[in-house]
Amino acid sequence: MCDVAFLLLTFFILTTKFRPQEVVAIDIPASTAQIPIPDRDIMLFQIAPDGKVFFGLDDQNTRLKLLDKLSADYSLALSEDQKDAFRTLETWGMDIRSLPAFLDLEPGARATAPQPGLTMDTLGGNHQVEDLILFSRQANNALRIAIKADKTTEYRNFDKLIKALQNRKVNKFNLITSARSKRE
Amino acid sequence: MNTSGGGGHKKDKKVRGKKMSTRVDLTPMVDLGFLLITFFMLATTFNKPKTMEVNKPAKDDIKKEEEPPIKMSKTATLMLGKGDKIYAYVSPDEIDETTQLQLDSIDYSPTGLRKFIQRRQNEVQAQWGNKDDLFVMIKPLPSSSFKNIVDALDEMTINDVKRYAILEPNDPIDSLIAMRAGQSRK
Repeated sequence: MCDVAFLLLTFFILTTKFRPQEVVAIDIPASTAQIPIPDRDIMLFQIAPDGKVFFGLDDQNTRLKLLDKLSADYSLALSEDQKDAFRTLETWGMDIRSLPAFLDLEPGARATAPQPGLTMDTLGGNHQVEDLILFSRQANNALRIAIKADKTTEYRNFDKLIKALQNRKVNKFNLITSARSKRE
Repeated sequence: MNTSGGGGHKKDKKVRGKKMSTRVDLTPMVDLGFLLITFFMLATTFNKPKTMEVNKPAKDDIKKEEEPPIKMSKTATLMLGKGDKIYAYVSPDEIDETTQLQLDSIDYSPTGLRKFIQRRQNEVQAQWGNKDDLFVMIKPLPSSSFKNIVDALDEMTINDVKRYAILEPNDPIDSLIAMRAGQSRK
């Protein structure tokens, strides 16, 4: 019995992939789609029920490359510590110009600090989301775009993001849903 | 001498009696093992979320697509309204004074949306000979929820609708419906 138990233990240890820490709780809708999410090369946009948009890349090297491009374009002066903090940042959502201040926080404070969501409006030639899409894709051309939105998120918020994607000629993306069987 | 020797012998016997057994008590290790199993079982995300692929036409393509207009009798329009309601209608090919528009208010259940799509597929089949000619226009209002869109798209997959698109509500009929439903179009 103990042998079996330890075999199970080994199995679980090897197969476990820890849940990434969530900036915001998102309750995804269900669909009959059967395509599993690819494991790598993911650019993930999360849309909270209140319309805040969060951004995340899965690969740490891509994150660093993105940060280099961002700091050049938005003239952010970043220290090595800040870069390192960004490297481990799974998901974030705030104005790009307020990133350095956020990266200066202690790791514990960073997890709990409220994040206002990405700047979506494009007033005054401000195209932050489009820049993120462009720079990330420059950093890794194989990136696939996934959108994880809450059931109750209004279409207007979703639409803003889609428009930004389309402006960057991204016409193919994945909506993340949970599985369900075909209802009769 | 004898007594001391006997004493020594006695001591030896005592030590031998205290000799520990070579079997180690495994209980704590097994306990720990089960604890870890429980932990990893709970931490594992078993049903991995699935994804639904969406392809939007490229912006330049939209204009090209509009050039040969689709016969309205091949279409069905779904407006995703508030309160999990869909306003479904079929625009006539030509609008004149006698035109009557039949507007259905349906829900996302199999008896609502799925029935409507299947009915339209049959109608298109009867009129044009191929049910795959059906073109479904999904027009979400700004306040429709994301769940509604996913449900509507999902229903397209379930019913094997070959051609569908997410569009802006741009028809004059759409504004009328939106106004009736008490929602702004923008």
